[in-house]
Amino acid sequence: MAGRRGREGEMLESLYSALALFFILVACVELCDAATFVDVYRLIQYDLAGVPFGSRLASLNHHAGSSPFVPGADLSRTVVILPVREVNITFLRVKWDYIYEARKSFSAIVSLASKQGRLNLGIGICSIGIEYVTQRQPLGGLLFLLPQQFNPENREETEGEGKNYGKELMKNIFAELEQLLIHANIPYPVYFAFEDDKINAVLADVKRNDATGQPATATTGGMSEDNESSSVPQSGIVTTPSEGEDEELKEFEGNLVYDDAPDEANTSSSRDGQQAQVGELQDPIVPEVFEVVDEPLEYKLVVSAPEPKKLASPSITNIQGWLPGLKADGDVNQLPTIAIVASYDTFGAAPALSVGSDSNGSGVVALLEIARLFSSLYSNPKTRGRYNLLFGLTSGGPYNYNGTLKWLRSFDQRLRESIDYAICLNSIGSWDNELWIHVSKPPDNAYVKQVFESFSDVAEELGVKVGLKHKKINISNPRVAWEHEQFSRLRVTAATLSELSVAPELLESTGGLYDSRHFVNETAVFRSVKLVAESLARHIYGHQGKNIQIFADGSNLAVNPSYIQSWLDLLSRTPRVAPFLSKADPFIMALKKELAEHTVEVNVQHEVLDGMFTFYDSMKARLNIYQVASVTFDLLLLLVLGSYLILLFSFLFITTRGLDDLISLFRRPPSRKVKTA
Amino acid sequence: MTVFHFFNCAILTFGPHAVYYSATPLSEYDTIGTSVKAAVVYLGTALVKLVCLATFLKVPENDSFDPYQESLKALIGFVDVAGLYFALTQLTHRNISQNHKFQAVGLGWAFADSVLHRLAPLWVGARGLEFTWEYILQGLEANANLVFTVSLAALGSLMWLRKNKPRALIPIIYACAGIVATMPSITSYLRRGLGWHLPKVVGFELFASLVMAFISWQLFSACQRPSV
Repeated sequence: MAGRRGREGEMLESLYSALALFFILVACVELCDAATFVDVYRLIQYDLAGVPFGSRLASLNHHAGSSPFVPGADLSRTVVILPVREVNITFLRVKWDYIYEARKSFSAIVSLASKQGRLNLGIGICSIGIEYVTQRQPLGGLLFLLPQQFNPENREETEGEGKNYGKELMKNIFAELEQLLIHANIPYPVYFAFEDDKINAVLADVKRNDATGQPATATTGGMSEDNESSSVPQSGIVTTPSEGEDEELKEFEGNLVYDDAPDEANTSSSRDGQQAQVGELQDPIVPEVFEVVDEPLEYKLVVSAPEPKKLASPSITNIQGWLPGLKADGDVNQLPTIAIVASYDTFGAAPALSVGSDSNGSGVVALLEIARLFSSLYSNPKTRGRYNLLFGLTSGGPYNYNGTLKWLRSFDQRLRESIDYAICLNSIGSWDNELWIHVSKPPDNAYVKQVFESFSDVAEELGVKVGLKHKKINISNPRVAWEHEQFSRLRVTAATLSELSVAPELLESTGGLYDSRHFVNETAVFRSVKLVAESLARHIYGHQGKNIQIFADGSNLAVNPSYIQSWLDLLSRTPRVAPFLSKADPFIMALKKELAEHTVEVNVQHEVLDGMFTFYDSMKARLNIYQVASVTFDLLLLLVLGSYLILLFSFLFITTRGLDDLISLFRRPPSRKVKTA
Repeated sequence: MTVFHFFNCAILTFGPHAVYYSATPLSEYDTIGTSVKAAVVYLGTALVKLVCLATFLKVPENDSFDPYQESLKALIGFVDVAGLYFALTQLTHRNISQNHKFQAVGLGWAFADSVLHRLAPLWVGARGLEFTWEYILQGLEANANLVFTVSLAALGSLMWLRKNKPRALIPIIYACAGIVATMPSITSYLRRGLGWHLPKVVGFELFASLVMAFISWQLFSACQRPSV
C-alpha cells in the first residue's frame, strides 16, 4: 500500500509540475496540428569514376513550396514538393532531347573519365527536364510524391480497368524521370515520399498559401517556359572542365542551345498573348508582403541526416546451387552442365525503393521455381538426367554484371568447359506474347541454333512467340548489356531470355522506381517458367521435337503459381541494391535457404564490387514537417507585445502616480530621476 | 519555434510583472525584498500542495471531469490562500504601507508561480520548430494570473490586515476571495468538463481577471474611505 502510494506520489510529482503543459497539450491537439513526419527515401548518390551523380546532400531544413512558381523567384531556400502525378508528361517529352544529350555526355564521361581523370559537370546537364529544374536555380530541396501504388510496403491490390490506362503513362513518366535523376548531379537533397493523407494535407495547404501569395498563378506556367528558354543560353552548363575536354563540352553545349530553339519558337507565339499579363506581373513584391501578413504559418520540412559517407568497398554476393546428374556406370568423363542464371540485385533512383519486381525479381522467381521443379525430378534416380544443373543467383547486375564475371572467374577451367550452355533469365515478368532470346554468337552457330530451336518449339506449343536477337560483343567496350555476354566473353555458350528486345543502357531497366509489383504479371512469369523448364527438360532427356509435356498442368510436376506469387510478393517488398545489402542480409540468407531446399552444395560467394562506382549511404530518412511562423510574424508579435507592455506601463503609471509624473519621466534624464526619487 | 519566438513568449509571460513593479510606486519604496519573501513562501506552499495532491489524489486516467477529484483539488488549492495569509500577516516587512504590501506580495507570488509553471515548458517547447499558439496563450494566462493573484492579495489584506472595514462589505469580500481562490478549479472545469478550447479558456480568464480586479479595487477603495 505504502509502495503504491509512493509510486503514485512520484508520478503525480512529475505530473503536477508539468500540469499546465499537460492540459495545454491536450487542449492543443485540436487547436493546431502537431509536428508530423513521413518516411522519405533519398535519391541515390554515387560517383562514377570520380564524377559525382545523384543528389549530393542529405540534410534538409527549408520551407515547403509548391508549383507553379513566379519565374525568377528565389527557390534556393525552398523545398519544392512535386507530385509525380502532376509532372507534365508532354513537357517532359519536349525535354527528351536534353535527356538524350545528357545521356550521351554521361556515356562520354564514362569513357573519358577513365582516361583523363576528373570532369566536373555542375548543375548543367543534371537538372534538365522538369520545369523548375530547367530554370537552373539551386533549390533548397526537392520532394517527389509518388502514388501509393508504387509503395513496396503497400500490399493491397489496386487493380482496375480505369487505372490501367494511367499506369502505362505513369510508368513512362517514372522511367524518364528516373533516368534523368540518375544521370544528373544535383547539388541539393532530393527525396521521394508516398502520397498519404498527411502529406496531401500539407501539400494542399502549401498550394493554398502559394496561391494567395501569388495571384498570378494562372499565367506562371507560360511564364516559366518563357523564362527558361531565355535563360538556357545564358547559364548553359556550369562546367569547370579540366584540360582536354573543352571540345566535347562545347559540342554538347551547342547541342543544348540548338535543341532549345524550337522550344522557344513554340512559346514565342503564345508570348504575345501573355504580354498584357506579364505587365501586371512586374511588381511581385507587393503580393509577397501581403502574403506574409495574411498567412503567418508556413511549413518547414526538416530531415536531419548526417553528411552522406562513402560506403567502404561495396560487396556483392553470389549464390550457387547444384543438381548433380546421374553418371552412368563406368563413365569417367564429367557430365555436361547446364547453367541457369539470374541476377537478383537492383539499382534505381531511390535505393530503398528499388525492388525491381520485373528486373530482375521475375528472373529470380523463375529460377527458384525451375530449381524446385528439377529437384523433384532429380530426387528420383530414375528421372535424374545426365546433365548437371547449376543454378546461379548473381549480384552486381546493374554494374555490367560484375558479380557474374567474378562468379565465372572463380570456376576452374574444367568446370567452365563442362558447361554446355547457360540460360540467363532477365525481366520476364511483364510480357504479353513475345520473348526474346539474346545471343552473342551468330544465329547459325550450332549451339545457338539448338537452344533457340528447343525454345521456339516449346513456345509454339504454349502459344507464345520467341524471337532471336544477335548482338556482337565489342571487347574494347566495357559495357556488358546482357548477363550472357559475361559467359560469352569466357567462351561459354549462353543466351539471355528477356522480354526486352533491345539491350538496355548502363543503369537502365535495373529495377528502379516504376518497377513495382503492379506492373508484373504472375501469368507471364508462370509461362516463362514453363517455357524454360520444358525446353530444358526436353534437352536433358532428349525429347527434342517431340510433343511431350513433362511439367503439364495438373500433374504433380506442374508449375506452382502460388509459389511464384509468394516469391514475387517477397521480392517486390525487398529493396536489393547490392552496395546496401550486407553480407548476411536476411534476404540473401532467405535466397540461400530456398536454394538449399532444392539443390545441393549451395555456396555463397562474397566478392568486392569493382569498377568505377562509389556509393554513399543514407538512403532512408524521416522527414519532419513543422508548421512554423515566418520571421515577419515574429517581428509583428514583438511589436504588438512591446506596445502592450508600454501601454500597460503608462496605464499603471498614470493610475498610481498620475499623468504629470509620467510626463516628467521623459523630461528629466533617467540618472537624475533615480536620485530625486 | 525559434529563440526569437521564445523571447517573445517570455516577454509576454514575465514582462508584465516587471512592468508592474517598475511602473507602480512599488519600485520607489524598494519593496523587492517583500516580493522575494513572498516568492519563497510560494515555493513552500507549492511543496505542501504537491505533497497533499500526491497523497490524496488519484492519477487521472482520462481527461474527463471528475467532480469529487476536482473538489478535492479545489480544497487543496486553498493551501494557497493559507500561504498568502502567512505571507501577508506573519512575515515582518519593512515599514511599508498595506497598500504596497499586498501588491508586493501578490507580485512576488505571481512571479514565482509563472517561473515555476511556465518557464520550463516555455524553454522546452517554444524553441522547437513547430509553431503553436500555445505559448502565446500561456503568456496571456500568466497575465491573467498576475491580476488574479494581486486581487486575491488585495482581498486578503482587506480580510486579515484591515480592522475597521464596513460590516456590509465583509461577506462580499469573502465571496470574492472565494471565487478568486477557486479560479483554477473553475478553469479546469471549463476546459475538461465543458471541453472548451484553450483560446476560449484564456479569454475567459482574462475577462474574469479584469472583472475581479475591478471589483476588488472598488472594495479596497470602499474600505479605504472610512479610515482616511
